[in-house]
Amino acid sequence: MAGKLQVSIDHNVCVGNAMCPHLAGKTFALNDDRQGSVIDPDGDTRENVLEAAEACPVSAITVVDAESGEQLFP
Amino acid sequence: MVTAINDDMFSGQAIEDPYGYYGQLRSEDPVHWNEKYKLWVLTRYEDVVWCTRHNELFSSAVFKTDERTPYPEIEESDMGLYDDIRKFFASWFIQHDRPVHMDMRRVLHGYFTPKSMEQWRPMVKSVIKDLLDEADEQGEMDIMRDFATPLPLFVIAQMMGMPYEDRKFIRMLAEKLLFIGRGDIGRMQPLHDGIYELIDYLSPVVEKRIKNPEDDFISVLAEGEKSGIYTREQVVSNAILLLLAGHETTINLICNGSLAFMQHPDQWDLLKNDKGDVVPPLINRATEECLRYDPPVKSIQRIASEDVEMGGKLIRKNDRIRWFITGANRDPEQFEDPDTFDINRWPNAHVGFGSGIHHCLGATLARLEGQEAFKALADRYDTLNLEAREFDYQPSITFRSLKALPVTMAMAAD
Repeated sequence: MAGKLQVSIDHNVCVGNAMCPHLAGKTFALNDDRQGSVIDPDGDTRENVLEAAEACPVSAITVVDAESGEQLFP
Repeated sequence: MVTAINDDMFSGQAIEDPYGYYGQLRSEDPVHWNEKYKLWVLTRYEDVVWCTRHNELFSSAVFKTDERTPYPEIEESDMGLYDDIRKFFASWFIQHDRPVHMDMRRVLHGYFTPKSMEQWRPMVKSVIKDLLDEADEQGEMDIMRDFATPLPLFVIAQMMGMPYEDRKFIRMLAEKLLFIGRGDIGRMQPLHDGIYELIDYLSPVVEKRIKNPEDDFISVLAEGEKSGIYTREQVVSNAILLLLAGHETTINLICNGSLAFMQHPDQWDLLKNDKGDVVPPLINRATEECLRYDPPVKSIQRIASEDVEMGGKLIRKNDRIRWFITGANRDPEQFEDPDTFDINRWPNAHVGFGSGIHHCLGATLARLEGQEAFKALADRYDTLNLEAREFDYQPSITFRSLKALPVTMAMAAD
């Protein structure tokens, strides 16, 4: 049931603490501005992506189930 | 397993050699009940990270919730002072849980993005140059007094929009607030004085920024009052939080990091001979390693929100907890050769800035200042020579803070 995810990062709030690439390194990376960016929304397991979203100190990450449209986080 | 370790964390070996002390706890009793001060001491990397990711189980609202008397004990006649102090610290945004924590913290995020911090880099470089030029005229310096302290202090005073000539006054007051992590029985009076002198100093500034916002973080907090998230009292107390957190920690990063380089000449040579051929750059890796090896903040406190079992022990609701970054950052389960200072270490998932939703808001600024400071030292000097054989640390369980770090410098040939 691990369907595809839509993952986005609000760059108005991301402070570049790098929790997301640390927890889900195939999904997130730091860009040239040293803010989080999504490199592959399905790079890691759904569980790891959600863990990264939950651990983000600024709650900049939104995770949506691409098929059902259900918002999984926040 | 029960350990024979002495529970006095405010003196002796625990202050002089926290890596030995908390390392012994980590291997003998990683979830340790400190009977002397009646609190849990956590030292394992995995446990510390687990706690930070379970903020619903470990409350940050320590000063608000905890009605017990402080540890170590204080004069009974100082309990009235402590009540004021508790109320003050309880209003810091970091002393809140979700959802209020998120609302209060969000007001500040825009100010601390990497892009917005980057604009300070030229100023940081220029302050470093001035400080080291001044030191070179003397041929010697106390890194603590002449370099590590004035740099972050100057930067944070600028960010607050305070006049240059006020910075020594600001530091004098800030030093009184550092009594919070110490054991002196009479610590409440200086702490109380520091708080109220800072409130007196900053209240009129806040008043001005409410009327005429400027480009500083007091104005950002003042916006938070306008949108109803902060009260006036909270604007003032959180300005004091940012002032304090914004420089005390970086002071220790620069001082402890400089000491680590002097004690490891091979790593100093590596940094001096940096060819710029690794990604992320060596100076970034080196700064992370300084944050891991001898971190500015030693421990963080929490209160259990419910009963939690950890490592076969039962932590009960309302129990006091302190987790030690000092223990976690040297955990052999997480780091290879944890007691080796290796500036090439990468990845380096240290918890010097904490982890999870309370991860340091100012981490980007601290990194920027650390990177520029270490780079400038390595570019300018052939060697830094330690002029002290013994190191005296502040008797704090919160900060890893040297009292002085005298050195002489040998200039690099052009």
